[in-house]
Amino acid sequence: MQEQKRILMVDDDQDFAEAVSCFLEAKGLTVFRAHDGKEGVKLAKMERPDLILMDIMMGERTEGFFTIQEIRRDPALKDVPVFVLSSFCTRLPDFEIPSSGGWLEHDMFFAKPVDMAQLTENILHRIGQPG
Amino acid sequence: MSGPVVPPAVVVIDDDYAIRLSCGKILTKMGLRAESFEDGARGLEGVAKLKPDMVVVDLKMPGISGMEVLSRVHEIDPQIVIVVITGYATIDTAVQAMKCGAYDFLPKPFSPDELRLIVNRGLERRRLGLESQRHEVERAMLTRRFVTFVAHQLRTPLVAVHQYLNVMKHLDQSPAKEHEWIARCLTRIEELQNLIADWLTLARVEGGAMLKERIRVDLGQTILDILKAYQETAAAERVSLEAGVAESSLYVLGDRNCLSVLFDNLITNAIKYNKPGGKVTVSGAVADGEVVIGVADTGVGIPEKYRPFLFDEFFRVKDESAKQTAGTGLGLHISKRIVSEMGGTIRVESQAGEGSVFWVRLPAAEDPAAGIGSQNDAGAETDSNGR
Repeated sequence: MQEQKRILMVDDDQDFAEAVSCFLEAKGLTVFRAHDGKEGVKLAKMERPDLILMDIMMGERTEGFFTIQEIRRDPALKDVPVFVLSSFCTRLPDFEIPSSGGWLEHDMFFAKPVDMAQLTENILHRIGQPG
Repeated sequence: MSGPVVPPAVVVIDDDYAIRLSCGKILTKMGLRAESFEDGARGLEGVAKLKPDMVVVDLKMPGISGMEVLSRVHEIDPQIVIVVITGYATIDTAVQAMKCGAYDFLPKPFSPDELRLIVNRGLERRRLGLESQRHEVERAMLTRRFVTFVAHQLRTPLVAVHQYLNVMKHLDQSPAKEHEWIARCLTRIEELQNLIADWLTLARVEGGAMLKERIRVDLGQTILDILKAYQETAAAERVSLEAGVAESSLYVLGDRNCLSVLFDNLITNAIKYNKPGGKVTVSGAVADGEVVIGVADTGVGIPEKYRPFLFDEFFRVKDESAKQTAGTGLGLHISKRIVSEMGGTIRVESQAGEGSVFWVRLPAAEDPAAGIGSQNDAGAETDSNGR
């Protein structure tokens, strides 16, 4: 039997994270939750997720971007797909992404609140069906 | 601010060689960069290239008229200060030029002193113009960033509620879980309500409410009322409330609502950031013409590194060990604004593990019972020295 796919969710809003992760778990995914960038980096290194859901505005800063950069510095994690979930703007180009930010072809942006069906479909498309 | 200071540049446009020569000499002696041109077309080219601070232009020239030069210069940069040179016979034209945006005019013949005076005045005007332009740009940028940030703050609880409802709609869950989520939705909606309420208070304070409505307010009474209203909340947290304000006469001039918000914020914080079995003590006294109120708690204290930011907008102390505390991050900022608008000060003293005291000092108003012969508000200000 195939192993369950693992998702890391980094978001400082516990309610938002709770709602999204409950849904994903019901679809057969394993979800780890981190509440800030620091914890996110730690969990990413420890759990080696198949995909990361990343909030951008955490605390008063755009901590999510630094967190993505930090995670991608780890050779084992440099190709992990990152889906950005943010309510800061409704589409990606509003952000000034540093060129060193390591935005990859397979990364995606979702505006909060997230359409769960669409998010789940994209996650499964990216990492394959759960076992 | 950095780099060598470049002296202001002045362009002189006049078909009279003698005037170009003498103006050039005087301006250079004033330490300015001066360039002169003999007609409007060349002059405008020069202005476009040099981007001067000031243009001195003769109104009567062959080719492009001085009047047209005037409007074309302002097309290049509306902040360039223009002085027109004119003969006595054309004073009317000079007036017309000023209506078209010229800053001043120099009637011919003019002395070096007259030129220096008018140039210095014009350059000062230019400096002020640029400064206010810069302030406007800065203010617009700050406003835009602030609006974006506030929108995000307002959207966050809304997004959480939306997401809960969205998932509940698509997922069958246990009634217990649903019940829990509904409770959390309600909490987030309350957070949104508080944010909007705080936001409106802030707008009220920034709109000058404190200055418009200045009535005599008895802070002792205000504080006792607030403490009474929070008796139950405090008891639920096992925090006792104590007041040392009853016998003092703590009168200030201000807006009653804003003053209630101020002490409401401080007292609810003192309850919220306390510990079970803890105490909130509110003390009040008059000293050196000021009403001094202290709101003391017995909580964990505020780490020193956070204290400089405590009164900033949306700043929240992040304490890993403490429980997550609900709040908008605007309370202390609003408090500080209210105190400043009233000409007072607010500061915090804190001891790790022992608690914090917020000290508010406000200019005292006269006690209506103590004043003899000067009981009206008009007399209160002039009388402060003669008591």
